[in-house]
Amino acid sequence: MPLKLFCCDECIPERKNHVYIKEEGEDTTDFLPLSNIDTIAGSLSERGCSYCGAKLVIGGVIKDCIQMIHGPVGCAYDTWHTKRYPSDNDNFQLKYIWSSDTKEKHIVFGAEKQLKKAIMEAFQEFPAIKRMFVYTTCTTALIGDNPKAVCREVQEELEDVDIFVVECPGFAGVSQSKGHHELNIGWMRDKIGTLEPEITSEYTINVIGDYNIQGDTYVLQKYLDKMGIQVIAHFTGNVTYDQLRCMHRAKLNVVNCARSAGYIANELKRVYDIPRMDVDTWGFEYVKVALRKIGAFFGLEDKAEEVIAEEVAKYEGKLDWYKERLKGKQICIWTGGPRLWHWTKALEDDLGMEVVAMSSKFGHQEDFEKVIARGRIGTIYIDDGNELEFFEVLDNIHADLIFTGPRVGDLVKKLHIPYINGHAYHNGPYMGFEGAVNMARDMYNAIYSPMWKLAGKDPRETDSPMWSLTEKDSGVVQES
Amino acid sequence: MSCELMLKERTGIINPMYTCQPAGAQYAGIGVKDCIPLVHGGQGCSMFVRLLFAQHFKENFDIASSSLHESAAVFGGAIRVEEAVETLIARYPHLRIIPIITTCSTETIGDDIEGIIRKVNQKIKENHPDRDVKLVAIHTPSYSGSMVTGYDNAISAMVKALAKKGEPSEKLNIFTGWVNPGDVSEIKHILSEMQVDGNILLDTETFDSPIMPDKSAFAYGNTTIEDIADSANALGSIALSRYEGANAATFLKEKFDVPSIVTPTPIGINNTDIFLKNISELTGKPIPESLVIERGKAIDSIVDLAHMFFANKKVAIFGNPDLVFGLAQFCLECELEPVLLLLGDDNSSYKKDPRLKELEEKTNCDMQIIWNADLWELESRIKNKTIDVDLILGHSKGRYIAIDNDIPMVRVGFPTFDRAGLWKYPVIGYKGAEWLAENIANTIFASMENKHDREWIINVW
Repeated sequence: MPLKLFCCDECIPERKNHVYIKEEGEDTTDFLPLSNIDTIAGSLSERGCSYCGAKLVIGGVIKDCIQMIHGPVGCAYDTWHTKRYPSDNDNFQLKYIWSSDTKEKHIVFGAEKQLKKAIMEAFQEFPAIKRMFVYTTCTTALIGDNPKAVCREVQEELEDVDIFVVECPGFAGVSQSKGHHELNIGWMRDKIGTLEPEITSEYTINVIGDYNIQGDTYVLQKYLDKMGIQVIAHFTGNVTYDQLRCMHRAKLNVVNCARSAGYIANELKRVYDIPRMDVDTWGFEYVKVALRKIGAFFGLEDKAEEVIAEEVAKYEGKLDWYKERLKGKQICIWTGGPRLWHWTKALEDDLGMEVVAMSSKFGHQEDFEKVIARGRIGTIYIDDGNELEFFEVLDNIHADLIFTGPRVGDLVKKLHIPYINGHAYHNGPYMGFEGAVNMARDMYNAIYSPMWKLAGKDPRETDSPMWSLTEKDSGVVQES
Repeated sequence: MSCELMLKERTGIINPMYTCQPAGAQYAGIGVKDCIPLVHGGQGCSMFVRLLFAQHFKENFDIASSSLHESAAVFGGAIRVEEAVETLIARYPHLRIIPIITTCSTETIGDDIEGIIRKVNQKIKENHPDRDVKLVAIHTPSYSGSMVTGYDNAISAMVKALAKKGEPSEKLNIFTGWVNPGDVSEIKHILSEMQVDGNILLDTETFDSPIMPDKSAFAYGNTTIEDIADSANALGSIALSRYEGANAATFLKEKFDVPSIVTPTPIGINNTDIFLKNISELTGKPIPESLVIERGKAIDSIVDLAHMFFANKKVAIFGNPDLVFGLAQFCLECELEPVLLLLGDDNSSYKKDPRLKELEEKTNCDMQIIWNADLWELESRIKNKTIDVDLILGHSKGRYIAIDNDIPMVRVGFPTFDRAGLWKYPVIGYKGAEWLAENIANTIFASMENKHDREWIINVW
């Protein structure tokens, strides 16, 4: 079937170009959903802003860095206590947020002095911290403040600090995606190559596009340590500012999130001729492929096989136990974009599950190419899905589980459908071999929760078949 | 004993206590039935706030964005509002009111919201002759005030736009301020015991929504357009919060001659007494024995705790201003020492708050009140050892201060996402006082056990 217009979209028929249901025998290149274009105002789209893509997703992960948000207080408050990226220095990056607190007078007369004061204070209050990211937001971009000039001044006055500026007002682009781009390209232009790393291994890589959600980066680091590979920088899970300045010295760039961080991998290829290797670090079978590819690149095939054998021995039995119970279950993935193509086939191959509907907030055409190539026949592929479309999808398909954010999870629970946090996980990490098992366990616990059967039962209907069903299946009622 | 009001010395903010005005306006908007607030600005201004509400309530609330992109930021965003309203009306048949909330971007570029509304109203008449959808302009530039002023501005704007003189209603308007559904239940309970009909602005009790067997229920606000319109016909208004709704009550007094009282937020025994007295004065209804019994039960509970566990304990309090003042008064009632109060925005009218004078007269300790404060103000004082506190009362964004410094903390205010279900319980009224005292005690008890600090004392008290 070609592109699909939902009933709820009849008054915004342009949405038809964003929804595809894959059918057998179709040339899918004819039906790639439009993506990465303007949001329809008032549609209750799931999208966020460019500033979010820069600060919250990428820059804010860095563990030894002040995050100075130049603007009114809300943008700072809103990107604090919402992420789950720990670090090995007691989570400094999760505990603090900085705002230049611009007020009306600054909007009228300029906020550069205010920014400078706030920066100086921040370094003073945190004397051990010598690195800073500065972000513009909607207003400070509109009034034309020049934060780069301010930061040059500060760097001259405080010689031991280093500051990076990202111009990422919320209205730039159409989604978070623009903020990823801005940060990637800016970092490449301003900071890469400004510091030399200490090289401790003949095999060096950058891991690009992994943000250490619930410790994903630690899992990957463990495998690479065992293979004797030095990670110059993780972009940006559990990383330091200075490690990111040294990325030009890696021999290989291993990319997981090609959406948010493909830019910098491409630039490193262009300028320093470092090859880009795209891998999937989610998915039990995919991780094997990833480790083998990395191993093959360095001639470390044996090491890769050792790591794989060890991990498989530890986790395969557990994964198979879950596979028995999860096969045939139908699920939706409504997240940013890349997890659609990382997960759809992995869940099918590893666990026998069927991904029946997917929605991407900010994916580009290449993300849809990937997910449609890997995804199932009959599955619904949605770009920039909105709330009424989600309801309509759930009316038309059966979903045993939805991978999505907590707010949408709070919504679908009313429809007796469990969710797993597809952004920040329930009980992660989800990457690597152990992560694949964690993910399977969380799905199993969500789908098989006794609560869903109880939710469907109306205690007033005493002759309903639900009574015996509950007794028999969940053991909630004791045997008489 | 002294009470000192000071402004934070730093220019920037580290760890903000409040978020910005539009978030407060969105909070007010979701309390109205058949309402989807439209946030005119970048997409983060609504998505992050929807997430914030989900953090606190574990529920979804519908809020739309005009999705301001670059072209609109440069050439004006009027068309984005027009399109958004049209899309909302066409896709949500039950929708009856759209507060149009500005943000820093759209205030800076100077979009003419009132003009846009006039134009869009005309279009609604043409395209949807069968629909009556109210559009209300809410000006909430994030670069002044805070979420507290944003909430206040939104309530005021909605009352100003909708209140309409008609038949006297015999109802009492209650402007709740930024409280929890549990507080709304408590207000309704008090009114019901006093046999007073209330018009609760805004009635968020339904935020506590069930999962129903037929999948029919969702979280929603329960104050209707008619309720807001009818506020002009009430026999009186009581605003429980000076900074969150009192302006709307004052407007009703000036425009429609509805008597209005700004009562001290009824946190603690004495403030609840004043609340009951004010209800009684406006309605002529006596205070029933049942509430005297409830009051006595609360006092009974607090007496078990106050001089045994609370006396001389130093407390830091942060949160919305009415909550902070109210909690400080409550602390003094139960022998706690509120040594540091933090108010998170630059509202100079705090200086004139009558509760300041009362605290000054009654305080049992040297008290500092910092306004325009951030949470680093609290943390740095604790780390520099310029203050010593035994207990923190505040919202969950201050949690690491308590965790890292090993200080027991009771979650109050907004948001309280790191404890389960707190939004279902009241902190106001006699029941709220009882709940607060017992939660403070239980938190201190758990901390004594964790630290092995005379944990054997918790046996015969």
